[in-house]
Amino acid sequence: MSVSNGKNIMVYVETVSDTPVGGALEVLTKAHKLAEARGEEVIAVLIGRDLVDAARTAIMAGADKAVIVKKESYQMEEYGTVLTKLAEKFKPFLILSAGTLVGKDLLSMVAGTLHTGCAMDVMDISDRDQSLIFTCPVYGGTILNDLVIKGTPAVAAVRSGAFVKELLAERTGKIMEEKVESEESVYTRIVDVVKEMAEAVNLEEAEVIVSGGRGMGSKENFKLVEELALACHGVVGATRPAIEAEWVPRSHQVGQSGKIVAPKLYIACGISGATQHVSGMIGSGYIVAVNKDEDAPIFDIADVGIVGDAVKVIPLLIEEIKKIQSL
Amino acid sequence: MEMLVCIKQVPDDSVEISLDPATKEPALEGVTPVVNAFDTYALEMAARLKEALGGEITVISIGNESVKNSLKNCLAVGADGAYLINHENAESLDPLSIARILRKAANEIEENMGKKFDLIFCGKESTDYASSQVGLLLAKEFSLPAATNVIQVEPGDGMMKIKQETEEGYRIMEVPAPCVVTVQKPNYDPRYPTIKSKMAARKKEIKELTPSEEGDSMLKVLRVFEPEKRAAGIKIKADSPQEAVAQAMSVMAEARIF
Ligand SMILES: Cc1cc2nc3c(=O)[nH]c(=O)nc-3n(C[C@H](O)[C@H](O)[C@H](O)COP(=O)(O)OP(=O)(O)OC[C@H]3O[C@@H](n4cnc5c(N)ncnc54)[C@H](O)[C@@H]3O)c2cc1C
Repeated sequence: MSVSNGKNIMVYVETVSDTPVGGALEVLTKAHKLAEARGEEVIAVLIGRDLVDAARTAIMAGADKAVIVKKESYQMEEYGTVLTKLAEKFKPFLILSAGTLVGKDLLSMVAGTLHTGCAMDVMDISDRDQSLIFTCPVYGGTILNDLVIKGTPAVAAVRSGAFVKELLAERTGKIMEEKVESEESVYTRIVDVVKEMAEAVNLEEAEVIVSGGRGMGSKENFKLVEELALACHGVVGATRPAIEAEWVPRSHQVGQSGKIVAPKLYIACGISGATQHVSGMIGSGYIVAVNKDEDAPIFDIADVGIVGDAVKVIPLLIEEIKKIQSL
Repeated sequence: MEMLVCIKQVPDDSVEISLDPATKEPALEGVTPVVNAFDTYALEMAARLKEALGGEITVISIGNESVKNSLKNCLAVGADGAYLINHENAESLDPLSIARILRKAANEIEENMGKKFDLIFCGKESTDYASSQVGLLLAKEFSLPAATNVIQVEPGDGMMKIKQETEEGYRIMEVPAPCVVTVQKPNYDPRYPTIKSKMAARKKEIKELTPSEEGDSMLKVLRVFEPEKRAAGIKIKADSPQEAVAQAMSVMAEARIF
């Protein structure tokens, strides 16, 4: 069922509350550049209920065409079938999505059905002599692989922060609705969806993240991390031990088995800098670390490292930041 | 409950792997091979289900002789039987080939046992290549339903009640059994073997299977390299926290952070 002789790039644009996730917009902007260089187009695919505004945003980010497929709610098999059928119809040479959990699931299914290859956690895509090269992390990001996908279409899920989104209001494109019949999912049934984040905090899209680790010592002390985040208008992140100690819900975890983030500013408090954590935040613009062990590996990647007790340092940081903000 | 747990042997993930300057290949010599962490979580999840409901756990892996050691370790922490699909160069297999080989082998084991698996477990990804595709592709090969990033499984009436982690929290899903699940870290750790369970595992036989024929790999690595190192910035060691924060703030002011 392979789709050969592909043309154009198809991008799955994941939405949350009818709004495209940031990673999808980053992918669209990159797709636009790749397609434009080849004189081809970007087809955005949006699946869900009320997506006309989201489709407009997709066009602003780089889509030439936005295809909306109406479905009640997310069901993995159903969405996977929709994407596969659209891939068969539009015959793209490349299918992309943001590397979210949903994006990775859907693209695996599409690649499996189309018998092609899929690259995950892609950090870069380059087009050399009409051949696409995908850069992917291995061994927790300590080594990178450049790879080519031999099947067509090439399928790839892109790590958040890998590309920069450009929303241009003047971009125009066509919005159209497609009907794709897919049998009622005979497989899985989602019976409940629970959002643990108190407010709509979105680590992947945050400009400032303040994370705490085991070094914060207690749930009480972890509140300092939350206060510092508040003072810098940032979002709270955490390492796995902080989550396992139940100082903060799972959805705040940054790292290999948590979220891949790329804020402008990342403040790491009481965090050692284990590979599994670092691989999730190494793309941050500016890194500040507070750790009482001057040999902590986190200092090797920090722009500013403060050797000291986080419990003493953070309140002072909050004070100083508040002073600046009240100027 | 008949359970199959697919495991992969990977280099110890607490060791930072770098490139060997001479060969330009990942320097894996001296790094202990271990069972992929997410697979150990899957095995623990299966072991807990077995304790609650009975049944047996079979572990399976594709790889060379050395993988037998990892399989023995699985036998020491809850698995009842273990199979190795002998492959000298499992590294070269792409996720689709892996899924196909696993599916054929699983069918062969089912035939040998005269029973069918009710639940098939994979880790959500491996800590070395992290392709996170094998579980879903395996489900596809079996034509079975799948659930990914699973942190809890409870058997219900002819189906599994599954807790799936999402970016914002979790979902509760109902999935008919048999099904394939890929496991994310649950809120417990895998158990350790005891001396007794280790001894017993050592005596058990690891059965061997030959891999089914594989297709061409869809992924080809052109180049392996190290990411540019982030240069370490300024490390501030002052006499008092006040002094340290003052210095840090002035560095950040210069960098226009605050
Ligand atoms: C398969 C797998 C996946 C994983 N995924 C993730 C992941 O997604 N995210 C993640 O974070 N981890 C993950 N881990 C865990 C990871 O390996 C580390 O264990 C974890 O990141 C360490 O967290 P930490 O830095 O908070 O704790 P530790 O490593 O214990 O470090 C605590 C640090 O705090 C410092 N400290 C102590 N007291 C103070 C104080 N008063 N003031 C200042 N500093 C202090 C110490 O010097 C130390 O450096 C994963 C592990 C595995 C095996």
